[in-house]
Amino acid sequence: MESLLYSILGVLVSLILAFTVGMTYMGLSRKITARIQNRIGPPFYQNFIDAMKLYSKSTGIHHGVMHHLGPAFIMVTSVMSLMIIPILNDSAFFTNMNFHGDLIFLLYIMTFGPLGMALGAGQTGNPNSAIGVTRGLSQMVGFEIPWVMAIIALMIRYDTSSIVDIMNIQADAGRWIMFSSPFTFIAALLAMLGMFRYSPFDIVGAPTELASGPMSENGGKYLFTMMSSSSIFAFAKLTLYVNLFMGGADNLLVLIIKTFALYMVPLLYGTVSPRYRTEQAVRYFWGWPSFFGLLAILYAVFF
Amino acid sequence: MVGSPVLFVAIPLLTAFLIPLFAYIWKELVRIIPGIVILYLLVLSVSLYGQVLREGTIVEQIAGWAPPWGINLVFSPFTGLLSTLMLFMAFIIWMYSYRFKNIDFEPSKKYFILLLMLVTGSIGIVLTGDIFNQFVFIEIMSISGYGLTAFYVGRDSAEASFKYLIMGSISSMFLLLAIILIYSQLGTLNMADIASKAHLMKPEFKILALIFFILGLGIEAEIFPLNGWAPDVYSQAPGPIGAAFSGIVVKAGIYALIRVIYTLFDVEGSLQFLVIIGMITLIIAEMAAIRQDKIKRMLAYSSIGQMGLVLVAFGIGTHEGVFAALFLMVSHALIKPLLFLSGSYLVFNSTEKSIKELNGLGKFMPLTSFLFALGAIAIVGLPPLSGFWAKWSVLTAAANSGMLLVIGLVLAISIVEIVYYFRVVNRIYFFKKEESVVPKIPTINAKFAMVILAVIIVAIGFYPDLITSYLHEASETLLDKGNYIQNILSVAQQVTQ
Amino acid sequence: MNSIVIIFLIFLAGAVLTYIGQRLSNILGSSLFLLTIFAATAQFYLRVNTGDIFSFSLNGLEMEWGITPISWLFSLIVLGLGSMAAVYSISAMKAKERLGYFYFNFIMGIFSMMGILLSRDLVSFFIFWEIMTWSSYMIVIYEGRSVQKVGIKYFLFSAIGAYAMLMAIVIIYSQVHSVLIEDLVYSFSSFTLAYKIWLPILLLTGFGVKAGMMPLHVWAPGAYSHSPMAYSSLFSGALSKMGVYGMVLVFSMLITQIPEHLLIREVIAWLGALTAAIGTLWAIAQDDAKKLLAYSSVAQLGYIITGVAVGTELAMLAAIFLAVLHALFKGTLFMVVGAIEKQTGTTNLTEVTGLIRKMPWTFIAALMSIIALAGIPPLGGFVGKWMLYEALIASDHYILVVLIFFASTAGFLYCYKFLFGFFLGQEEKEWAHVKEAPATMVVPMLIFSVLLFVLGTFPGLLLKPIDIGMQELGYAASEGHYWTMSVLFNEYGNAIMLQPILYAIIAIFLFFLVFLTAKAFKGTRYVSTKDISSSGEVPGEFENLSFKENFFQPFLRAVEPVMKRQIDWYYTLVGNGMEALFNFVRRVYTGNGQTYAIYAIVFLVILLLLKSNLFG
Repeated sequence: MESLLYSILGVLVSLILAFTVGMTYMGLSRKITARIQNRIGPPFYQNFIDAMKLYSKSTGIHHGVMHHLGPAFIMVTSVMSLMIIPILNDSAFFTNMNFHGDLIFLLYIMTFGPLGMALGAGQTGNPNSAIGVTRGLSQMVGFEIPWVMAIIALMIRYDTSSIVDIMNIQADAGRWIMFSSPFTFIAALLAMLGMFRYSPFDIVGAPTELASGPMSENGGKYLFTMMSSSSIFAFAKLTLYVNLFMGGADNLLVLIIKTFALYMVPLLYGTVSPRYRTEQAVRYFWGWPSFFGLLAILYAVFF
Repeated sequence: MVGSPVLFVAIPLLTAFLIPLFAYIWKELVRIIPGIVILYLLVLSVSLYGQVLREGTIVEQIAGWAPPWGINLVFSPFTGLLSTLMLFMAFIIWMYSYRFKNIDFEPSKKYFILLLMLVTGSIGIVLTGDIFNQFVFIEIMSISGYGLTAFYVGRDSAEASFKYLIMGSISSMFLLLAIILIYSQLGTLNMADIASKAHLMKPEFKILALIFFILGLGIEAEIFPLNGWAPDVYSQAPGPIGAAFSGIVVKAGIYALIRVIYTLFDVEGSLQFLVIIGMITLIIAEMAAIRQDKIKRMLAYSSIGQMGLVLVAFGIGTHEGVFAALFLMVSHALIKPLLFLSGSYLVFNSTEKSIKELNGLGKFMPLTSFLFALGAIAIVGLPPLSGFWAKWSVLTAAANSGMLLVIGLVLAISIVEIVYYFRVVNRIYFFKKEESVVPKIPTINAKFAMVILAVIIVAIGFYPDLITSYLHEASETLLDKGNYIQNILSVAQQVTQ
Repeated sequence: MNSIVIIFLIFLAGAVLTYIGQRLSNILGSSLFLLTIFAATAQFYLRVNTGDIFSFSLNGLEMEWGITPISWLFSLIVLGLGSMAAVYSISAMKAKERLGYFYFNFIMGIFSMMGILLSRDLVSFFIFWEIMTWSSYMIVIYEGRSVQKVGIKYFLFSAIGAYAMLMAIVIIYSQVHSVLIEDLVYSFSSFTLAYKIWLPILLLTGFGVKAGMMPLHVWAPGAYSHSPMAYSSLFSGALSKMGVYGMVLVFSMLITQIPEHLLIREVIAWLGALTAAIGTLWAIAQDDAKKLLAYSSVAQLGYIITGVAVGTELAMLAAIFLAVLHALFKGTLFMVVGAIEKQTGTTNLTEVTGLIRKMPWTFIAALMSIIALAGIPPLGGFVGKWMLYEALIASDHYILVVLIFFASTAGFLYCYKFLFGFFLGQEEKEWAHVKEAPATMVVPMLIFSVLLFVLGTFPGLLLKPIDIGMQELGYAASEGHYWTMSVLFNEYGNAIMLQPILYAIIAIFLFFLVFLTAKAFKGTRYVSTKDISSSGEVPGEFENLSFKENFFQPFLRAVEPVMKRQIDWYYTLVGNGMEALFNFVRRVYTGNGQTYAIYAIVFLVILLLLKSNLFG
């Protein structure tokens, strides 16, 4: 009973942690982008303010049940992913619900959110939403390929499909997988560019063109849910990458440093890149990233 | 003994000549008498067949002359099966054509005379044990065939008849040549006698005679380069005659050819030749069939193809092969007439007889269309109809002899067959009817005739054991050449003693 | 009388009586139709036990009907889906012509499938197989649309498959002198190597056609979409599974006996994966829901084929599990399309739109089956896909995993297109009158949805019978020993890990639903889909706000090189070539008497010239 309580507490704490860290990163990203573009930019806590504002708004209208459920779907995905990704190495507190075989589970659960949200966006009847959804799903098919290749390469190489095992292996070897399986890391990193949907892969919700795409009919609490879910999801993904490739983290400070460093990659790459059209983006992911993925698999099979 | 095999030849011939006399008594007799005669012969054939199965082959000498000098008729399990089948088909065709096209008195007289002669000739070919006698019967059959082809007055039928005539005379010429060759070498015309002495013949002469036979009988059996006349004849002759050709005449031709190859000579390579030529016939005919736009021509080509398959099966040469060939013959003799009979009602009122005119008739002639569809499904060999078991026997026979190529080709060709038959059936059921076509509901006797055939096809399909034991018996008989010779020549000894 | 024979008699007599009954009155026909199917189902499940055997001899062949655990398993698909589809078709086919014909062939279809499953010899297997082919063919052409093209194509490919199978059967018979399957399995090891390789290939060609394996799948889109949807659900759900059933038998009983079995396995597994990938791409490109589902069926069967071909215990388990699930969800989806077709008169995704509020129950059924199809937890599809991935990784098929994963991710695209096209998007006036489908159509769909959920949560219910069936096929009892890479199931899914996770998903979902937004939902009011944010303007009634055409255009542009040409195109090329050849051959028969006489002479000359070659 105690352990159950602990893990529920752990889940809650990691949720709050993920929310806070994710929101901060989002805010920092706005600041950094602004500075690169030679603007002053909003303060890094601007996102918290936005979230508070959105949450305190009362929503007057909805477009039907699916529309209403959309944010809930995407929230489920974020929380689920967070729950099965261990936050720290060997932490009794943050074991969460990770289990053997969770990598494949993750692959699937991570695609569930976009689809659920797409359903919600679909019912609004806003053509921009639908267009955004088709772009988002197409792009997802694109980056999933190198991502899956990387994951499979990991599974072959280390003969496990558990995140905890992979973390332990790194701890035992004293080497990060990022260095011992470089191709895997490159493929995964390139796939990550798509996952975060920063430029050049931001055509999905292109604000000026599609009026934020799938999100365009959502306001108030709906938008708050989406926003916080995407923060949590961002944190979960970053933690996953850290766990898989950078040896995990022994304490929260290290975790934050590592995740932030990783987070800079899509962000900085985005600030210097123009936007890809959807088919260009899809083809991009099936090009070099998949090639590295293939190399990673071959490397894992033969070495 | 319930009756003599002689009756099979004598009675219909006699009746044929007497029909004009009957006509003086009562015109309707012209139609009725042939049916009664055929029915009587059918019953006789069935009972004789039963007796033959129990007691062995019956050899009947004509005019007391013992073989090898006299003419004899052989009613064995093999020939008996064929003659029963032919008489049954003749009966069905008679029933069907009883009021077909309301044939007027004068043509109907001719029609039934010729039909009876056709049947006589065919049965004579099967029963006779004498090679020259067989030639005579072939002539009887062919001549009545010419007449029946040209039955409808018109340019096309006359042309078809004339083509048949040309080919028929080529056939007779080569047959005569072959017979002369044999007679000059062996001095006998009795088949059993020839068979027992064939080894005395000089090989060159033997092969030459065989080639002449193949040419002469091949025309009747519709093997590949010699079958050009057939599509014209099938399509120009009245519908029931098409059925008679595919159900009776071709079977007689095949029988004659098989008798020559299996019994008369024992030439090495002749079986392989059968397989090759049968295969070519099958392939070319089915390929031609798919591109036809007249329904009867399509059926004719299909019929030719099936005969090719029968030859292939005979060419396998094992007991199973012969069994398969007989099964195929029986099955084809049931199905193809059904297609001809129902098909000719489907195009009854049309002038072109083209497949297009079958469009959408399913609604207007439900029974006829259904029977045609059933026939189509049966002939392409879909279970659970008789065609499947026939095809199955052929394939297993081929497989047991290791002829894998044959299996592959036969199956590939079957796919072609499926395409053209199903195209037609689809048209019947799913296309819009052509405005100009006036559907014609079959007469009750025609319906009855077709339904009988359909019922038998389905029955054999569900329970092939109905006929397989007879077929096994028959194929046993055909293969047992020594027994055949002995049966006939022993009669001769009895007489001489 | 033997209980198996009674089932067959019920079917046969029922088919004929239904046909006659339908001629007399509609109600009589429909009730006889249902009665037949339910009577046979009841007879099967109540009276027939595994191990029942009926032997007889036909045409000198020893034949045997009996039931094995594996066929019992597939009979669940056939009879379960069959009876539900039958209930569904009563309303769905109302007021159509030639119902007797439809019912007759429907019953014959189920009859033949049961026959296939109950056959324990190759000949009755083949006979039932052919009955299945022509009865389904009759329904494909039932509506009379493009019968010459779609119908003939279907039959042509079926015939190619069936004849490949027949050739194998004939050869087997000549080798074994028995058509019993057990004799074949027993003596297969003594065949020569050539036979050992070619016989399975021939058989697999036959089964591959029915299962819609590339490159033999080209009949499927047309045939599935041209049948009435009531039958399509059976067609795609159950009929295609007969191909899978055959493949399962071949792979588990014959191919394991070949030392060089790996190559065949690899080839078929790759074909399956390619089928999945290419079928998915083509499904995305379709604008007609029937076609979309048809291609999706092809794709889904691709996964199953891959699983069967890889053939490890886990892969086989996954494949059979997926086969059952596919029957459930694809059966439901075809029913959904049928319901929409009935209510709106069209199945074009670019026309129908915004039905979610008009047909909510249909939507729920569609949503559930789409979630299962996409393989998203917590519905059953996920369990199957997971097992398949694990199996493929565990058996070192890494590239295959990627391909399969690609197919299943890309599958989301058409899933979304389906849901969005019919149910979401702008609610247009044109469809304002649409009502929910009749209860007899909705209830079967909902039953399947519930089943999908149950199987997702308690996969053990189904995995256990599959495991028993596989033990019959010679697999080791799979009691938990090969789950080393996953603790998804310990004892047939009554596992310690899976259910908590699923419950957690549901709990989180409910949490966010109830505590965060339920109040909001109550406090908000529904506004129509015209009332959307569009730069401050309220769009008028006449403004077209539907995004329908070229739905996945950017994606399709990205995969354009792969989709430039359908396999159909090559077949058409071959077909045209053949027709031209036939036309050429036909000219041999000139219709001229002189030519024929010349032929005779030429033939004579040839024979005389070749006489020493031909005759010894």
